Amino acid sequence: MAALLEVRELRKSFGGIGAVNGVSFAVHAGEILGLIGPNGSGKSTLFNCILGQLAPSSGEVRIDGRPIGGMRPCDLNRLGIGRTFQLLQVFPQLSVRENLLLAGQEHEGGMWSRLFGPRDAGLSAAANRMIDFFRLAALAEERAGALSYGQQKLLDVAMAFMAGPRLVLLDEPAGGVNPTMLGGLRERLKAINETGRSTFVVIEHNMEFVMSLCTRILVLAEGRIIAEGAPEAIRNDRAVIEAYLGT
Amino acid sequence: MLLWQTSQTINFAQGEFVMLPAFFVLAAMKFGGLSFPMAMLAGFAVSLLVLGLLFKRLVVEPVIRHGVLPLVISTIALAILMKEGVKEFYAADAQPFPAAWATTNLQVAGMVVSVQNLVIIAVAALAVAALQYFLAGTRTGRSMQATAQNPALARVLGIPVGRMVLYTFLINAGLVALASFLVSPIYLAKFTNGETLGLVAFVAAIVGGFNQVRGAIAGGLLLGVVDNFVAAYLSAQYRAAIPLFLLIAVILLRPQGLLGRVEERTV
Repeated sequence: MAALLEVRELRKSFGGIGAVNGVSFAVHAGEILGLIGPNGSGKSTLFNCILGQLAPSSGEVRIDGRPIGGMRPCDLNRLGIGRTFQLLQVFPQLSVRENLLLAGQEHEGGMWSRLFGPRDAGLSAAANRMIDFFRLAALAEERAGALSYGQQKLLDVAMAFMAGPRLVLLDEPAGGVNPTMLGGLRERLKAINETGRSTFVVIEHNMEFVMSLCTRILVLAEGRIIAEGAPEAIRNDRAVIEAYLGT
Repeated sequence: MLLWQTSQTINFAQGEFVMLPAFFVLAAMKFGGLSFPMAMLAGFAVSLLVLGLLFKRLVVEPVIRHGVLPLVISTIALAILMKEGVKEFYAADAQPFPAAWATTNLQVAGMVVSVQNLVIIAVAALAVAALQYFLAGTRTGRSMQATAQNPALARVLGIPVGRMVLYTFLINAGLVALASFLVSPIYLAKFTNGETLGLVAFVAAIVGGFNQVRGAIAGGLLLGVVDNFVAAYLSAQYRAAIPLFLLIAVILLRPQGLLGRVEERTV
């Protein structure tokens, strides 16, 4: 069976400097793959190349065995691929509920229903479930821009799941989230993975978070994969320790 | 204002955009032999094509990637081109423009009220209500708001950002055509019409708040009322300076406009 996501010999250079230098890996349905590495190791560039927001210099990305090079982010969304960003991304002037409806509505109905159909696109129940699941009920009608950083982060993650994606690329979901919220976020991601059969690729600097969430971890340094394996093996890998400590 | 919010387009030819559709209608009647209603329809369609689609494709898209300033200069050049083009190829003198409604006056509680002015107020109010409903009450409108607030996220969520921006340009073209058809019977179709209209609209938007539709409406009302009070009770000679005084005062005291929101922008 073809891997859900397959990256083959991906390279990306900026003015002769290689940010991603021939990275290959596969992600199978149901996995939670962690992608870690020191700052500047090419993790976010790799995400952007996978999602078509940067054109790779060479190499290939496949979904279900099918090349997706040149596809627009909105087309990838329709293939069931979602993402969150390293920096917070919400629609600040819209309410929490409207942010969630927006995140799911592009999969529903045609042009006519977008103009004259129900404004919730039949997604109110799904939005309510997501609001309850991420414990945002008290804030549902608040402007997203008025929420705390941690609450906006939860909303950001919740939005990524509104359209029922098969694969979600999470870019530092734990960044800036307080420890109490972090535990809840990890449990929710695990629950979605188990019950919703979503597959995740997670970039994260918080080692405790990534080690307790992911089933497999890839380590990038200077644009190359230097280690791959189960969390416990990665924790004790000499090459990984050297890459992080610079020894 | 709509164009700014969805595509960071500042259009200094907006006044000329209001001037031009009236000439599309007159040209359709004069050269195409169309009746006035048919010419209005043709003028509206040509406005959508030229001031919406072609403006976006041929002016905004090639220039905006070089920054806002080149686009500002380009739209100033476009304004001059439109104005001089109409003067050169259609007429340098004011042209009568037919009214689609009665041009009589009504006596209301001892006051004389022009039917034309009432029609303008009614159509403008309807247009604003329809625009507000579209933006706030439909999924497409919500997608347009999302595009204006965070285009990168909108793309990732599957919103066709390019199409949403195109809709904004088409709505802008439709609104300027409507404005042109409303004011031209009163002010006549003149190649210079855009100068005053563009300046007043720009000042009204800044005074009211550049990021709020209701702000621009409030700004326009305030300018109109102040302008007429100054002309009636102070001096008609200074009425043209009043919008500029108001503009300076707002920029100094409340830069976001009377009803505008403070926005943070990453630079």
